Parts: sequence; C-alpha cells; structure tokens
Amino acid sequence: MIEIRNLVKNYGKVNALNDVSFDVKKGSILGFLGPNGAGKSTAMNIITGYIAPTSGEVTVDGFDAVEKSLEARKRIGYLPELPPLYGEMTVSEYLDFICDLKNVPGKVRKSMLDDIMYIVKIGDHRNRLVRNLSKGYRQRVGFAQALVGDPPILILDEPTVGLDPGQVVEFRKIISGLGRNHTIILSTHILQEVTAVCSDVVIINHGKVARKGALSEFTSSNSGERRYVITFDTSDKETAEKILSACQTVKDFNFSRTERGSIIYRAVTDAKQAAGKEIFFNAAVANVALLELKTVEKSLEEEFVSIITRDAQEGE
Amino acid sequence: MEAVFKRELQSYFKSPVAYCIIAFFGVLTGLYFWNVNLYNQSIEFSMTLGSLTTFLIFFIPVITMKLFSEDRKNGTEVLLRTSPVPTWKIVLGKYLASVVVFSCMCVETMVCPVIMTFFVNDGGVFPLAMTVGGYVAFFLLGLAYLSVGAFASSVTDSQPIAAVLGVILLIAITFIETIGETIKGTLGQILVWLSLSSRYSDFASGIFNISSLIFYLTFTALMLFITITNIDRKRWN
Repeated sequence: MIEIRNLVKNYGKVNALNDVSFDVKKGSILGFLGPNGAGKSTAMNIITGYIAPTSGEVTVDGFDAVEKSLEARKRIGYLPELPPLYGEMTVSEYLDFICDLKNVPGKVRKSMLDDIMYIVKIGDHRNRLVRNLSKGYRQRVGFAQALVGDPPILILDEPTVGLDPGQVVEFRKIISGLGRNHTIILSTHILQEVTAVCSDVVIINHGKVARKGALSEFTSSNSGERRYVITFDTSDKETAEKILSACQTVKDFNFSRTERGSIIYRAVTDAKQAAGKEIFFNAAVANVALLELKTVEKSLEEEFVSIITRDAQEGE
Repeated sequence: MEAVFKRELQSYFKSPVAYCIIAFFGVLTGLYFWNVNLYNQSIEFSMTLGSLTTFLIFFIPVITMKLFSEDRKNGTEVLLRTSPVPTWKIVLGKYLASVVVFSCMCVETMVCPVIMTFFVNDGGVFPLAMTVGGYVAFFLLGLAYLSVGAFASSVTDSQPIAAVLGVILLIAITFIETIGETIKGTLGQILVWLSLSSRYSDFASGIFNISSLIFYLTFTALMLFITITNIDRKRWN
C-alpha cells in the first residue's frame, strides 16, 4: 500500500532521514517507533506530501507522493502531532469544512459525520467551540478530521500523547477497530501501544531504519535465543556465578538484583537448547536451592532500548 | 477552493477584526467626505477616494496579515497542504476572502456619492463617469495591495510581522513613482511605468485605460503567483 524507498531528507546541513526504506502492507497496522528526534515526524510529513524528500521516493497506493501528490493525498487521512484545528469553529462546522476540503458529496456527508462522531465519541460536543475543548477532546476532533472521507490509509502521529489513561485505552481500541479495513501507520514512543495494536514494527534511530519486521519477530521466541530469570537462595554472588558458568548451554548471564537475601540473575541460552534442567542440577550439586527459574519473553522494550543504546555506542 | 474561501470569510467575520477595520475605514471616509466634498464644496468624490488610498497602505496589511501566517502558527497549514487541494486553490480562496472584506470597505463609502446626488442643484451634473472611474481605480489598487499583503503573510508565521512587512512593501511600491520622477532618464520612466500609483490618476479622472487595467490585474496575478511559489517552496526546504 505504501512503499518507501531510499528516503533522504536534509534540512540545510542537518540530515533528518538517511536512506530509509520500508513497506506498509495493505491492511496492516505499522508501529513506527523511534526516540524523539529520530525522524518519525519528518518521514510522516513526507508520506503525506507536506514536505518533499531530498531524494528517494514514496509511493502511496501506486501514486508517487511528490509527482502525483494530489492523488496520493486523497487516499490518506493524517493526524499530525499537533491536531490541526481552528479554535473559532464549532466541532461540526470544523468537520463540515474538512468535508468541503476533501470533496465529500453532500448526500453521504451527514451519515459519514454521524458515524465518525460516534466512533471518536464527540457527538455530544458537536456544537461546542473547538477552542473550549479539553486536550483529549481536541485530539478526538483531530482524529475525526483524519477519518473524514474514509481514506484507506491513516497516518497517526503520536495520537495518544496527552490523553488520560482511560482515553488511551479507548483510542487503542478505536485504532485496532479501524485496522480491520484500513492501512495504518502509528507513530509513537509508547511501546505497550505497539504491542497492543500493531502487526508490524519499524524502529528508526538517527534517521535510519534500525530494525523492521513483524511484531512477533521482536520477541525472543523468534530471535534465536531463550532468556531465563533465576533466583538463587543465597546472597553469595560467587557461588551463583560458578553455577551458571558451569552450565554449557548458558551463553551469557548477568546479575540482575538482590531481593530479600536471594540474588537474581538473568541468563541467555540458545533457543534450541533447554538450559533449565542443567541450571537446576548444577545448583543442586552446589547445594543452592533455586527459588525461581523461569523463561521470559524478550520484550519490545528491551529490543528498542538495545537498538538505541547499541547505535549510541557505535556512534561514539 | 470554495472550502478555503468560505472558512476564511467566516473567520474574518467571526472575529471583531473585520468589523473594526470596516468601521474605522468608514469613519475616515466620513471625515474626508466632509472635508473634501462638503466643506470645500467639491463634487468630485474620486478625489476623496484618491486621498483614502494612502490609508489603504495601512488597512490592507491588517486585513491580509493572518491569511497564511495564522495557519503556519497554529499548525493548520499541515491540514491544508496535506488535503487534496492544490496550493493555488488555497491561495486564491484565501485571497478572495480578503477581497470580500475590502469590497465591504468600498461599498460602505458609496453612501457618500449617493448623498451627493441628492444635493446636485438644478442644471448641475453629477460626474458619474469620474466617480465610477474613481471606484474602479480604487478597487483595482486594492486588489493589487491585497496581493502584496498576501505575499507578506506567506513569508512569516507572525501576524504582526506580516502586517509590518506588508506596510513596508506597500510604502516601497508607492515611492517607486516618486523615485522614478526624481531620477528621470529611462530607468526613471520604467519605475514610473511600473508604479501602481501613477496609473491611478487615469481612472480617477474618468479615463478608462485598458492597459492600466491589464497592468493592475497582471501585477495582482504575479504577486499571487509568487505567493503560491513561496508556499510550495517550503515543501523542498
């Protein structure tokens, strides 16, 4: 649905995007992750046709985002980081204006707006001035704006920032629901959000794609290694480390923390080899009881942090 | 284009700015009408309009200052420029909304010549052609000034700066004629030819000069084109 090839964007001498390429499949919800200033908004602004890339190309549903910008824009609903609202208009006046902008024919307009207001729950506020709405409701109106005209592609730039926890959960539900018949790019730095709603993930850092793939690839079950958390019934680190280093299946381990007299270690092994048994018996031989031995999924958060820190180290 | 035009027009008349400008301009018109036409007993309303053009230098930029700078400031520029509407339609829609406000200013001044027609003595003739000519000139000059103001607004995201820049540009444009007359020679002639004000008097004295009409409209179109280019240019920065 969206193809992004070798995107480069320079602002003067500042390089915001450097050779970014990825695809968004039809019907998928892509989590677009990256620390602040990584180039997320720049990439989204290019996809939506707001700015042009220095080089590289973006194709939206077969239309080049620069050459055939109008055609591409027709297919996109965009919620920028700051919802683009006119304070002096009421909610329904504003959405009516958006219908005009997007050429929504008068016949379907009323039912479309009713549907949208129902989805984002702003029907009760339709006659209020946008400027008097709270942050959460402004965000909803901005969201409604993106949905006008029922574009097949939705691009949402940090849609849940500044919402209260209840609203965040609600927004995620709405996005999941829309994902059934829309292609969505969701930029965020809230990782739980990605785990909750996205099917694919692209992580960018310093203007480059650091990693991309299906969400499932980001968890340990597919990354070729298995992770354990082990709680030893001893406060002696030396003993624990001796036990772990004696295990041939354990590739790597590190001290995590001390908790009520027992020490906790994290260990990594090959996915194929179950290390649990070996750790258990080695501990038994050393006469140390294991209070807990469990495998853990590598979370998206760890992956994210490891990519960011790795890049930072390489940069030094 | 209609969408942008409609919204811009609503926004003008939802805030007190348009009303204040129109009202204040009405007061000034009244003062000049009293001074030029009533006190000095002149039948030429086009002279009054001529005097009022000086004030347009200050009024017009206040009308146009928000056209593009406001959208840039509050983030709605993204909305317009990612919507399936080409830039030229956005610019034209906004420009036409400012033309409507200016037209209101023109229409309110028409009260004065209408009053004058009641006081034309027996045998006297109201100079209709001259008055109409005066209005055509006034309106055309306004269109050109509005396009300059629109350009000024597309340069910055601050409304006050847009207004000040607009005033400076309009003063510069007005002084082109004076400068041209001072330096004389070919360059001087070119400057006079280029100036908006030198062409004003033709119309105001009732001469319908088609080349001046084309000149004003071309000037306006060119300024709007520069505005469109200036906005599109930001895409590439």
